[in-house]
Amino acid sequence: MNVREPITNHRARLLALVGIGTFAGLWCLLSYADIIPNVILPTPTEVLKAFPTLHTEEALVRSVGWSLYRVSMGFLLSALVAIPLGLLMGTFPAVKAFFAPLVDPLRFLPISALVPLFLVWFGIEETMKIMLLFVGTFVYLLPLVVEAVENVDDLYLHTATTLGASKWQLVSQVLIPGSSPAIGEALRVMNGIGWTYVILAEIVNAPYGLGHLITVAGKRSHVDQIFAGVIVILLVGVVTDQIIRLINKRLFAWAE
Amino acid sequence: MARQLTPLGRALIVLCGFALLGYAGYRYEWFKKIGGLVAPDRKPEGTVSKDDFGGPVATTTEAPASSSAPSGGGTRLSRPIKVAIVTWGGYAGGIFANNGFAPTKDSVFFKDFGIQVELLVIDDFAKSRDAFRAGGDKGGVDIMWSTVDSYSLEYSGLQRLSPKAVLQYDWSRGGDAIAVDASIKSVKDLKGKSLACAEGTPSHYFALYVLTQGGLTNKDVQWKFTDSAIEAANVFKAGKVDAAVSWSPDVYVAAREREGGHILASTKEASNLIADIFVARGDFIEKHPEDLRRFVGGWLKGVDLANQNPDKAALLLSKSFSGVGLEDAKGMLADVKLPNYSENRAFFDPKGSLVNYHTIYKTAQGIWRKIGSVKDVFEPYQTVDTRFLEGVSEWFAQAQEAKPEFEFKTAPRTTTAPILTKTVSVYYPTGSSTLDENAKAVLETQVVDLAATFGSAYIRIAGNTDNVGNHDSNVRLSRARADAVAQFLVSKGFDRNKFEVVGNGPDKPVASNDSDEGRAKNRRTDFEVVPR
Repeated sequence: MNVREPITNHRARLLALVGIGTFAGLWCLLSYADIIPNVILPTPTEVLKAFPTLHTEEALVRSVGWSLYRVSMGFLLSALVAIPLGLLMGTFPAVKAFFAPLVDPLRFLPISALVPLFLVWFGIEETMKIMLLFVGTFVYLLPLVVEAVENVDDLYLHTATTLGASKWQLVSQVLIPGSSPAIGEALRVMNGIGWTYVILAEIVNAPYGLGHLITVAGKRSHVDQIFAGVIVILLVGVVTDQIIRLINKRLFAWAE
Repeated sequence: MARQLTPLGRALIVLCGFALLGYAGYRYEWFKKIGGLVAPDRKPEGTVSKDDFGGPVATTTEAPASSSAPSGGGTRLSRPIKVAIVTWGGYAGGIFANNGFAPTKDSVFFKDFGIQVELLVIDDFAKSRDAFRAGGDKGGVDIMWSTVDSYSLEYSGLQRLSPKAVLQYDWSRGGDAIAVDASIKSVKDLKGKSLACAEGTPSHYFALYVLTQGGLTNKDVQWKFTDSAIEAANVFKAGKVDAAVSWSPDVYVAAREREGGHILASTKEASNLIADIFVARGDFIEKHPEDLRRFVGGWLKGVDLANQNPDKAALLLSKSFSGVGLEDAKGMLADVKLPNYSENRAFFDPKGSLVNYHTIYKTAQGIWRKIGSVKDVFEPYQTVDTRFLEGVSEWFAQAQEAKPEFEFKTAPRTTTAPILTKTVSVYYPTGSSTLDENAKAVLETQVVDLAATFGSAYIRIAGNTDNVGNHDSNVRLSRARADAVAQFLVSKGFDRNKFEVVGNGPDKPVASNDSDEGRAKNRRTDFEVVPR
């Protein structure tokens, strides 16, 4: 194995399977052999058995639907605000200089500390949950968009200017297309971050929701249900991730 | 010659097809059926009403004869006993016996009982359970706090640890309360309102109790569940809900700071509802029974000391808990009652106090089950181990019998509005005020528990009749009947002064006297809970 030595797709898949297999094997060993007590680490069998219960009694599918809705809304909202703002900031250093002192520290924002504030500001219904997911993803998305715009090679701008492009044409013909693959990738990452915040967002007044499901299971010490809930979040996360990846590939095929 | 369909035509036909399918799906409820299979809803909640509280506790569930008190069995622990607690005044006894939170040799626990104890404040509920699951040997705790009502909810999840309740360290006496907005004057006004509380907690249980005793059910309010009691208080303070159940001091601050906010009811009146208990891990009990026995003994010794020196207890509380001043600490102590050795014995005895561990556990479990939060049923005796309590008698030799706690010297002021009114139909033979067996059974299930749970409150017993017959004799009869009810309750061990007897006759109808049905509704006994 050399540094950055390319491997074939076939081998990559094989290694991935081995990775998953090792992990699953370790889980089986630790749980079935009772090396870690089952109240801390449930066995795979227990976790599998938790699914039918969650499905028939705890409205698992509806919860997935609600969480998906909240994460998507937060995601769309942050894209709607962060992309235009990021474009402006990446294009005009003056705009960036204006917003930078407000936006830069936001990356250190402890989102969990916002929950009590958001409850008071936005109430206990959906607005609060979506706003939390919006803020949680927005603070990461904006710098990435700015960076994507700034990373468009000056060479393209110079060429376009030489060819007589107007200011508007520089943005619409050079900067936007030049940065969009990187923005697409940033959006994919945001989807992932959105799912990590879903438990926090659904901590209050969420009759349905995967985050709520996991919180309640935790309080009742149903470790098997916590694992099952986490597995569902992982699955939904991976599936939505693949969908965004596919869309990015279609839209920005030229960037490959 | 067949004509070629245009793309638009094709699209139209497909659309029609979908529309037909859609209509059929709607008409024959296919969607509902498919939806039920693919995305079933939660199991529908049952309705919790006043009948779910205070039912007789089956005495068929006799606990297995407890083996002799454990002493000397197992091995002695070589590290401090680790106990998870929260910021709450009920730990005063243990803090007194331990002289603070950290294990120290300068403590009653060490000097008189030869053990060391470490109290760990874990305010986050889920984290305290994580610590309990991990266990004291692996960075967690050996003993955790719970309340009898929420213990019955979490027992099935913890069952594999074979946990056992070993000690009651306090009764909440004002520690839990319902804050309401200006429009709500009594429990009945809560109908249709939004109510915030942390799900499955003592707050939730307290709300269910008060709602149902006041004639509502769990379905009459819009529940807004929060993650913690503090959040419930905060959303109430911010005006986002009409009512909230939370803990002291947050709930009192929220009620004060919201315009028109006030406290509707608290465990100051419902004095025997929320019991805080310690639960020990099964493996700890098995391995170190002697240490646990000394822990129980030392804690109860601390309770006696704290009850004798409340000022010193408050000082210790304020020194130990971060962010708690001396005045706060005094308030925290005022919101709890620390039961001593004899009171603990009476609490864990199924035939001890009228309201005890067994009655609360059974009632709470039944309610959680109805709401759909628990599936498996356990008998109270399976969840408790009283051997340690029994085993500490040597240290409490001259302990007296548990005395009645509340004295009722004066009659209740007639101007004080009741918190809630529980309406019960008690049947008497025509013209008589004698209680038959049937009537006694009704009182036993519907009223004894109410009166015992609202241990510190007055109960106004108001007899009512329909308008058939002579007015004056109806008034006299209704008063005699209310008096008979009071006499019956006194025979159950209550103080006569706790009850005020009123005969309304036909003067306070709740329905029209023009129909049989209405008249039946008017023949009733109202039990008004009046705070002291």
